[in-house]
Amino acid sequence: MQKILNTLLLAVFIAVLLVTSRWVGHQAYSWMPTQGTAEAQKVDDLFSFLVAVGTFIFLGIVGLIMYSVLLYRVPKGDFSDGSPSRGNVKLEIVWTIVPVLFVMWIATQSYKIYQEIDIQGLTPIVHLHIPMADEPANAATEPTDVNTRAKPVALEVMVMAKQWSWAFRYPGNITSTELHLPVNETVRLKLQSQDVLHGFYVPEFRIKQDIIPNRTLNFTLTPLRVGKYRLRDSQFSGTYFPLMEADVYVESSDAYNQWLTASASQQPSPAKNSAFSEHTLGAVRGWPTIVPAQPPIVNQP
Amino acid sequence: MDRLSQPRENSQEHGNGMFGFTVFLLSESVIFLSLFATYILLRSIAHGWLPRGVSPLEVTQPAINTAVLVSSSFVIYFAEKALDRRHLNQFRLLWLTTSAMGTYFLVGQMIEWSHLKFGLTTGLFGSTFYLLTGFHGLHVLVGILLQLLMLTRSFKPNNYTSSHFGVSATALFWHFVDVIWLVLFSLIYLWRP
Amino acid sequence: MTQDIQMGNAGSDPQPNRWRYFSFSTDHKVIGIQYMVTSFIFFLIAGLFSMLMRAELLTPELNLLSRPLYNGLFTLHGTMMIFLWIIPCLVGLANYLVPLMIGARDMAFPRLNAIAFWLIPPTGIFLLSSFLLPSGTAQAGWWSYPPVSIQNPSGHLFNGELFWILSVALLGISSIMGGVNFVTTIVRLRAPGMTYFRMPIFVWTVLSAQLLQLFCLPSLTGAAILLFFDLAFGTSFFDPFKEGSPVLYQHLFWFYSHPAVYVMVLPALGIFSEIIPAFSRNPLFGYISVALASFGIAIVSIFVWVHHMFASGTPGWMRMLFMFTTMLVAVPTGVKVFAWTATIWKGKLHMETPMLFALAGIIMFLFGGITGVMLGSVPFDLHVNNTYFVVGHFHYIVFNTITMAIYAAMYFWFPKITGRMYAEGWGKIHFVLTFIGANLTFFPMHPLGLQGMVRRVSSYNPQYQELNIVASLGGFLLGISTLPFIVNIVASWLQGRPAPNNPWHATGLEWTVSSPPPVENFEEIPIVTLPPYSYGHDQLAADTPTQK
Repeated sequence: MQKILNTLLLAVFIAVLLVTSRWVGHQAYSWMPTQGTAEAQKVDDLFSFLVAVGTFIFLGIVGLIMYSVLLYRVPKGDFSDGSPSRGNVKLEIVWTIVPVLFVMWIATQSYKIYQEIDIQGLTPIVHLHIPMADEPANAATEPTDVNTRAKPVALEVMVMAKQWSWAFRYPGNITSTELHLPVNETVRLKLQSQDVLHGFYVPEFRIKQDIIPNRTLNFTLTPLRVGKYRLRDSQFSGTYFPLMEADVYVESSDAYNQWLTASASQQPSPAKNSAFSEHTLGAVRGWPTIVPAQPPIVNQP
Repeated sequence: MDRLSQPRENSQEHGNGMFGFTVFLLSESVIFLSLFATYILLRSIAHGWLPRGVSPLEVTQPAINTAVLVSSSFVIYFAEKALDRRHLNQFRLLWLTTSAMGTYFLVGQMIEWSHLKFGLTTGLFGSTFYLLTGFHGLHVLVGILLQLLMLTRSFKPNNYTSSHFGVSATALFWHFVDVIWLVLFSLIYLWRP
Repeated sequence: MTQDIQMGNAGSDPQPNRWRYFSFSTDHKVIGIQYMVTSFIFFLIAGLFSMLMRAELLTPELNLLSRPLYNGLFTLHGTMMIFLWIIPCLVGLANYLVPLMIGARDMAFPRLNAIAFWLIPPTGIFLLSSFLLPSGTAQAGWWSYPPVSIQNPSGHLFNGELFWILSVALLGISSIMGGVNFVTTIVRLRAPGMTYFRMPIFVWTVLSAQLLQLFCLPSLTGAAILLFFDLAFGTSFFDPFKEGSPVLYQHLFWFYSHPAVYVMVLPALGIFSEIIPAFSRNPLFGYISVALASFGIAIVSIFVWVHHMFASGTPGWMRMLFMFTTMLVAVPTGVKVFAWTATIWKGKLHMETPMLFALAGIIMFLFGGITGVMLGSVPFDLHVNNTYFVVGHFHYIVFNTITMAIYAAMYFWFPKITGRMYAEGWGKIHFVLTFIGANLTFFPMHPLGLQGMVRRVSSYNPQYQELNIVASLGGFLLGISTLPFIVNIVASWLQGRPAPNNPWHATGLEWTVSSPPPVENFEEIPIVTLPPYSYGHDQLAADTPTQK
């Protein structure tokens, strides 16, 4: 009788866990910023999966612990011993093997999503031919491009990071401190740094890439949602690191082309740069710091 | 303090000491491994390794130095054996010979350094060369100093009658320095550009 | 030496004895206390730095500190918490306990032990003195990534970064000395009958952690040497404009620094394994699995380091490989959590302060471990890498697990170490404040990271302010929560009720001697016949596992 009751209780417990985990997994989408790219949708699906699995495990274990804490306390002086059981080999084997399968499942799901996102990663560090640093900006061939399912790239933009500003160069040699991208088109960003490590990160895009000086890194994404976003430096780059941000505009192809044409006609002029301004104001300087570079001179500041 | 509960204490302590020292050397070798990995990686991804105007390293003299250093490992081994058999004078002679051979190696290295046409900052070639050989040379120096210390201690009456942890450790250290050098020599001198 | 021997009730404690805590003593018990007290002081200092940082982060704009100072504070906060708080404190605890637990009179190399300790206070002071340099302290984070870390804007040779490198080197030497000592002691000085599978789990975890230190720390030494040369002598090992590689530094750095987090967490898990059985009156469930899992964690942890570099420009195959290994390290860790849960299951639970800290630590460790597995998933990590999500994750481990474990250990072994009982009521107050503070401070960092707040920033976008205020208030609460602990420990040490040999009725050799133990630990070296955690085994039932 007791055994049936216990099994029933366990079944109910697991059922509650499953329902709750599923629900929390759905909630997880709302904890993320809006989905700005095709990649973001995949990453959010993965995140929801991870949260559901994590919730199941967390509530399961905490539930078991709290059950004992609430129902099995003894008064202060009672030092009598509990059960002498030292273990249960079958159980221990099960709770070693099942987690292995579990994490392999999680890793495999992640692997699948990674493939779907098409993130190239860097070309291997050890290579025996000349690296791509010297290639012209509009090179269409990628010698080390492994992924044959890569979507055709509609646009290439050079992203130039330095302490502490972002500048962008578009086809036709048009420059700006704003990143404009046409919606629904795959863009290849060519990331470059002039000085130290930086990081390219737009939270709504969900993917980031560190930028290594003296190497051009190719970073491909497909913005899906018209809007204004904020690009920030994600790899600590020194004193004014928090100020290294830029506006990102994802707009319709027409709007993008209009903006590009308008910018082309403008004479290059210095842009506003928070790091430079804050430093020249000199209010609270503190210890010696790298002097921010002059603001970039661009067509469209 | 009551020591009856720990019989044969000297050999126990000697055993602990050698165990600990061996563990230490295994750990120390990982520093060299990380420097070797650095050297191999940087050299593999570099476009050209030799700086302009610098010729490849000469191998003959360093090879002779290597031979001397490696031979000294045998000499120190026999020195230890002599001490085990309580032949103190033979021990001291062989021990001193080891130090002399080690010194020859170091002097040879310094002579080589003085003739080189590149410096610490002459590209990664120069940096890795001086860093690796210098760091190793530092260990050779420490080895020689330890040997001299053990030598002076051998003159204390009855010092080495029961156990000689210091001598064993110093000898092991010397073998370690030799093995590291063999790897280093192959990576720096024998791996031709 | 008779004045040092204290039996049972330590009512009279001659004043001159206290000076031995400031001297070059070779007694592992004295050294252990020296380590723990010294590291706690550095904990308070580094904690003060975090209070300053949290105060700055109350508002989105920069309005309290200068940017270089903020950067210096978070750099030294991280460096000190790892190398001057957690690592030395756990080494101190291990120093005190391990010889007692294995039935030895002292560590294998008592003088080396003392030297290793005495490297710590001067190095800590040296590192802190960099605040007075014209260049200020190191300001590149506790990772000290080049090229930023070697830019040296002041142009001086004696700059904060140099002090940082030298400090890390000196502390590393101290750690290696400790590693050699612990491994030799545990392998060679166990009492007769104390086989490996009769050692308490705490000793297993110390052995695993110290082996990790010995074989991985030298990689950091290599990185430090190369960084030093780049900084001081103009070499270009990490200069990307001169054939060097900044990513190489990251590999060398993380090859140690990932195992380092296991060096920190393993003894903490060991502490849980000692406390849970005692306060459940059950043997540790699955002792052999837990013992082997300690080794398993150590071994697998050597092969996961690239998960700190998923966004660094690592090739796709490397990211995938290390994602799989990272997920795998969760398994032996999970085995331990299951074992504790099973130990508690239907036990006879006592909820005194050590148990409260241990249970809370385990639950928060579970949460931190889960977010860790999430971070191991590359596509997700690419979103939250370098954001506050990561900061939340690792603080759930280093504070909400490890520091909680240290507090649990302090309360658990306080009677043994000092011969006095602490005040239980104040212990519970300390627990409540710490538990609330810990969650209030570090939980909000997870949504902040998901929303894109980057880490190491002295100012941020206004949209993040609300959660930052919550985290800052939690941080201030944590600062306040240390007060009941400090008062309790100091007052109880001076005036607490004398403690019996075994106030918790726990198993383990340390509980068979007086509180505090005599100088040579045991009058006669014990001969061990029972397996550990022999709760419920008065009939000397052997190790055969019984079905529940």
